[in-house]
Amino acid sequence: MGAWGFVFLAYGIVWCAILIYWLTLKRRLRRAEVELAQLRTSEESQTNAQT
Amino acid sequence: MGEISNRPNKRKGYLGAAALIIVLAGLYWGLLHAPPDAYQGEVQRIMYLHIPSILTAYLSFFLVFVGSCLYLWKREKRDDILAYSAAEIGVLFTALTIIEGSIWGRSTWGVWWTWDARLTLTAILLLIFAGYLMLRSLTEEDNRGASSAAVLGIIGFLDIPLIHMSVYWWRTLHQPPSILRPDKAPWDNIHPAMLTALAINFVAFVLLYFYLLSLRFRLGELREEIKARWLNGEN
Repeated sequence: MGAWGFVFLAYGIVWCAILIYWLTLKRRLRRAEVELAQLRTSEESQTNAQT
Repeated sequence: MGEISNRPNKRKGYLGAAALIIVLAGLYWGLLHAPPDAYQGEVQRIMYLHIPSILTAYLSFFLVFVGSCLYLWKREKRDDILAYSAAEIGVLFTALTIIEGSIWGRSTWGVWWTWDARLTLTAILLLIFAGYLMLRSLTEEDNRGASSAAVLGIIGFLDIPLIHMSVYWWRTLHQPPSILRPDKAPWDNIHPAMLTALAINFVAFVLLYFYLLSLRFRLGELREEIKARWLNGEN
């Protein structure tokens, strides 16, 4: 492998890994937001049913 | 922990956009504008990733240290979330540093890995904080897990001064600092275009780090609120 091959291998791995981590983090965040919204809705509906 | 409001994500958006712009500028300076090294040639461009990523990992583990100390002292959940979030991103940047270093080492030293003091201590740092993350994911009893992890986070941080001093204390293949030296100013040790490329990439990594940390911290807050609501529902 030539010098540029090593450079592109390093840059490719780093930026792909960071991109994958960012996408995974966004997905985890979206899931948590949906779960929290569902919990809030179910709690509100329970409170309304009691009153 | 109280209820978390739906705060506008504008600030995170601005931070992410700023990080992206500086990352692109760093790629341009590092890959196209900076001259090749006189001895190593083009492969030296890996330095523009290698130094910023390890410094970002150190910053991350410093925040783990601060968050862990504050958590053990005050028992505030926010400090634990900070430490946990910083540890996760710190592991990513440490792993990337080892991979970049390995590729750089293969092209300059002729080997992917050697049991050099600095490399070995960096691998130990990665293992300590990978253990930290495993401990967090395996410990069901929340407060005990957070306290044990905080102790591990503080001990793990103590590896960083060892990594830094290893090139002075032992005969290592890894060179001592060549830019930040006590005897010379940084601009006397390196070509100005190389120093600029390094500085831009460092700023890019720090901005990107704080952007990722803000997302990860928000995730930790949401998880805590979900947990609290589940517990309230059960009681």
